[in-house]
Amino acid sequence: MKLSFRLAYRNLMGAGLRTWLNVGVLSFAFVVIIFYRGLIDGWNQQARRDSIAWEYGHGHLLDAGYDPADPFSVQDGHGILPRNQQQHLSPILLRQATVYPQGRMVPVVLKGIDVNQNTLELPTRMLSGSTADIPAMVGTRMAKSLQLKQGDELLLRWRDKNGTFDAANITIAAIFDTDVAAVDNGQIWIPIEKLWAMTGLQGHATFFVASAGYQPHEIAGWNFKSQKEMLQSLDNIIQSKNIGGSIMYLLLLAIALLAIFDTQVLSIFRRQREIGTYISLGMTRWQVVGLFTTEGTMYSFLATIVGCIYGIPLFIFMANTGIAMPEATQDMGVSVAGTIYPVYGAGLIISTIVLVVISSTIVSFLPARKIARMDPVNALKGKLQ
Amino acid sequence: MLPLISLAQAQYPDGAEVIRKVDENMTARTVQSEEQMIVHGRRSSRTMTTRSYARGHDESYTEYLSPPREEGTKMLKLDDRLWLYSPSTDRTIQISGHMLRQSVMGSDMSYEDVMEDRELLDIYTAKVVGEDTIDGRKTWVVELTAKVDDATYHSRKTWVDQQRYVPLREELFAKSGQLLKRVTLSDIKKIGSRWFPTKMNYKDVLKDGQGTDFIFTTVEFDVEIPDFIFTKASLKK
Amino acid sequence: MINYLIKGILRDKNRSLIPVIVITIGVMLTIFLSGFLKGAMGDIVDQNARFETGHVKIMSRAYAQNKDQLPNDLALLGVDTLMESLRRQHPDMEWVKRIRFGGLIDVPDQNGETKGQGPASGLAVELYSTQSHEAERLNIQNALVSGTVPDQPGKALIGHVFADKLNIKIGDPITFIGSTMNGSMTFENFTVSGTIRFGMSVMDKGAFIIDVADAQRMLDMQDGAGEILGYFANDVYNDDKAQQLTESFNRQYAATDDEFAPEMFRLKEQNNLAGYLDYADNMSLLFVIIFVFAMSVVLWNTGLLGGLRRYKEFGIRLALGEAKGHVYRTLIMEAIVIGIIGSVVGTIIGLAATWYMQTYGIDIGGMLSDASMMMPTVIKARLTPDLLYIGFIPGLFAMVFGNMLSGRAIYKRETANLFKELEV
Repeated sequence: MKLSFRLAYRNLMGAGLRTWLNVGVLSFAFVVIIFYRGLIDGWNQQARRDSIAWEYGHGHLLDAGYDPADPFSVQDGHGILPRNQQQHLSPILLRQATVYPQGRMVPVVLKGIDVNQNTLELPTRMLSGSTADIPAMVGTRMAKSLQLKQGDELLLRWRDKNGTFDAANITIAAIFDTDVAAVDNGQIWIPIEKLWAMTGLQGHATFFVASAGYQPHEIAGWNFKSQKEMLQSLDNIIQSKNIGGSIMYLLLLAIALLAIFDTQVLSIFRRQREIGTYISLGMTRWQVVGLFTTEGTMYSFLATIVGCIYGIPLFIFMANTGIAMPEATQDMGVSVAGTIYPVYGAGLIISTIVLVVISSTIVSFLPARKIARMDPVNALKGKLQ
Repeated sequence: MLPLISLAQAQYPDGAEVIRKVDENMTARTVQSEEQMIVHGRRSSRTMTTRSYARGHDESYTEYLSPPREEGTKMLKLDDRLWLYSPSTDRTIQISGHMLRQSVMGSDMSYEDVMEDRELLDIYTAKVVGEDTIDGRKTWVVELTAKVDDATYHSRKTWVDQQRYVPLREELFAKSGQLLKRVTLSDIKKIGSRWFPTKMNYKDVLKDGQGTDFIFTTVEFDVEIPDFIFTKASLKK
Repeated sequence: MINYLIKGILRDKNRSLIPVIVITIGVMLTIFLSGFLKGAMGDIVDQNARFETGHVKIMSRAYAQNKDQLPNDLALLGVDTLMESLRRQHPDMEWVKRIRFGGLIDVPDQNGETKGQGPASGLAVELYSTQSHEAERLNIQNALVSGTVPDQPGKALIGHVFADKLNIKIGDPITFIGSTMNGSMTFENFTVSGTIRFGMSVMDKGAFIIDVADAQRMLDMQDGAGEILGYFANDVYNDDKAQQLTESFNRQYAATDDEFAPEMFRLKEQNNLAGYLDYADNMSLLFVIIFVFAMSVVLWNTGLLGGLRRYKEFGIRLALGEAKGHVYRTLIMEAIVIGIIGSVVGTIIGLAATWYMQTYGIDIGGMLSDASMMMPTVIKARLTPDLLYIGFIPGLFAMVFGNMLSGRAIYKRETANLFKELEV
């Protein structure tokens, strides 16, 4: 084995330019695969992190009457959870309301949130710091859609629990920038105490956001939706990107393997005499097959080394500066940051190396099988076609 | 100065009394009428004609006569329930919950506004707070403040003609005091023994636009209306 | 001379077969990858185009300003005339009208009393028109859980979750309640022709898809539509063309200040797609460059190998007295011929594969645990004109270049060594 390794190495180095071309292309495929998978992993981690930080927390405990997909259920889907059940839970109350920017009538979802909460990254402290009568915060998308800026006042009309109209100006105390459109589009956040007072729904919540220490258990009238369930759709999208991407890099890998295949076919053709010599020196045919296969496989080792030489600085650079993502991707219903930082895990790198090594071993082996059928005498004479 | 003001206030009539007198003009045991509703949209105005029957506060029936698209559409209100019948689908559907907040035929009025059937004095305490002149007619300004907690509008202001006891203007307010809707009544006519405003403009003041006009083309008070009108069966007829 | 070379190439499999195969595969892969990338990178754009933005979209100015609220009271009127003139002026494009609307679905029991209600997010498209490809475009066939696409007035598709909840079967009646363009309440009976699943809970619960003619009648929008969408032939977005079209269309209405005048928007102006489009272009260009470069290296290597294979033959030819220059030239000529054959075959196969992927795509839905139809689960390639040369040129040049390099050895060859190589 050691011998065939050394021989393979010598042969490759001897071939010069041809070897380096093969190695170059294979290393290229290697780097692109790692880069792409790192990008997807980075996106995945970012999207999960952001969704958890801004929206999901460690799960939601929803009033049984509330269905996030049914806007009409906001009306009655709320209730009071006994105080002693509220550990590690932060209440959010939803109400339908209407705002009137520039004489237009725009329906919005009014969301009351505990200003002292720290489960979600929403800057609720900005609300408690405001001196306005009804301080409100909106995301950048909502601010853009209503043409609002910080300090603006806006007429809000809502109904209290008995259906009596009420209306007042709210003051935009903060505009936050998030990658999670689901906490931004069409909604206005205000302190929950304020909303309780405005609607008379003291202590009510539409759902609670759980923090790390929450232990889900059966509570009558409430349904728990775990973080994992909520991350499912995200996982699907990531997975589809992964499949799409893998088609691309497998094509790239295929072309690199094609080069190795071609090289192998030629070496076996050109080096018949060498093959004959090995056999006449006492190597079994399969040992020779092994030698040639090792040569092919060695491309992948060299490619890994070469790939590392220029890939590692590139990966480090990318992981630090990130890759800018266009704005439109953020409206897909999945959170996509403005910049994605690729993440290169050990598993990803090792599995990529294994993929490259195994596939190059296979394409090296395929033409080398021919050796096993060679007649050594003819081979020694170089008479095989 | 001070005694003069208190003297002036003393001259104001009792708010509840003013409202009761208004009710004598405006309500009857039964009312049968034909109306035009003119909805001023952003691009065009539409006129609809309807025939209505009402008995007391709790029962009313409206049938659309034109335009052809709305013809035969009927609306029945019995106590706190409201049904719509559409001839094209031959279905009677109860309007409830969220749908009550929809506008009536694109007007500035919602089904919920139509549904309010309690007497004003059951919901509000009335107080005359001043005098005003509208189109040359002297009015009492009556402030109505909700005494129940489920009034749609927390307070109202009504300008009542001092001689005829007909409201000429009404403003509806949110709890916070924010003006939400304004109703302007005009074309006061003498119908039998009572004065009645035959034109009404209903306007959501938060929204741009000209509001909705209601015009009574005929009104009859205290006529006999057959009982079956106020049954669900009458819708399908 | 060429004939002689071609004969040689055809007869000597060693000289030709492997290099041609390698070039063919390389060129094919390059073309396929480029087409695939364009398609895959464009999936978001494509999805937007199908469901929302079209390649160009016409709305009334007022509607466009509030389009998130589905303001059908501000919708376009005189749509038929407008569409007719669009079809006349741009016959190569497909023009369709759509109406989006909200409302309630009311399900009656045997006695006509309400059995259940649910919110409806309505979409009216040209389902019955034989010229339109709307059903295909919206992937309705694949989204069907049961039943069929509506084929006659009064039929509707509804979300499968809603159907399950109220136990609605195909052929059951439902009543849609909504408001007309003028704000009147409108009621209309429909027969359920199918249930659909888009994988988005809002749509699965509330989807209500009907033909646009039904919607026009129901919403009192005769000759009206919320939006007119234009699609280029082959469903491939071309921003330059779209921009030209948009500019010339909007110029016609520049003089009027009617807030209901039609206004055309190209895809790129809508839904923040501009940034994404540029990004997709850059990314796919980058990957294509990487790939073409990689393939060139591979083919260069093939060229090198091709030359090496024939050292012995060159030795014999030199020994027979053929001039070195002549041997070299024929080698290059052969390389050109092989390069052309391989590139042509590769381009043809590559284009065919891309076309297949553009038409049918790869359905990855099965690989996803809970596939969502709104998210593209079918990865499609895109056939663009640059695919004609993107593989061909590097295929040919890399091959020739490789042969040129390995052919240099002909000049280095010592006659004395030749006979050593000829030894048998």
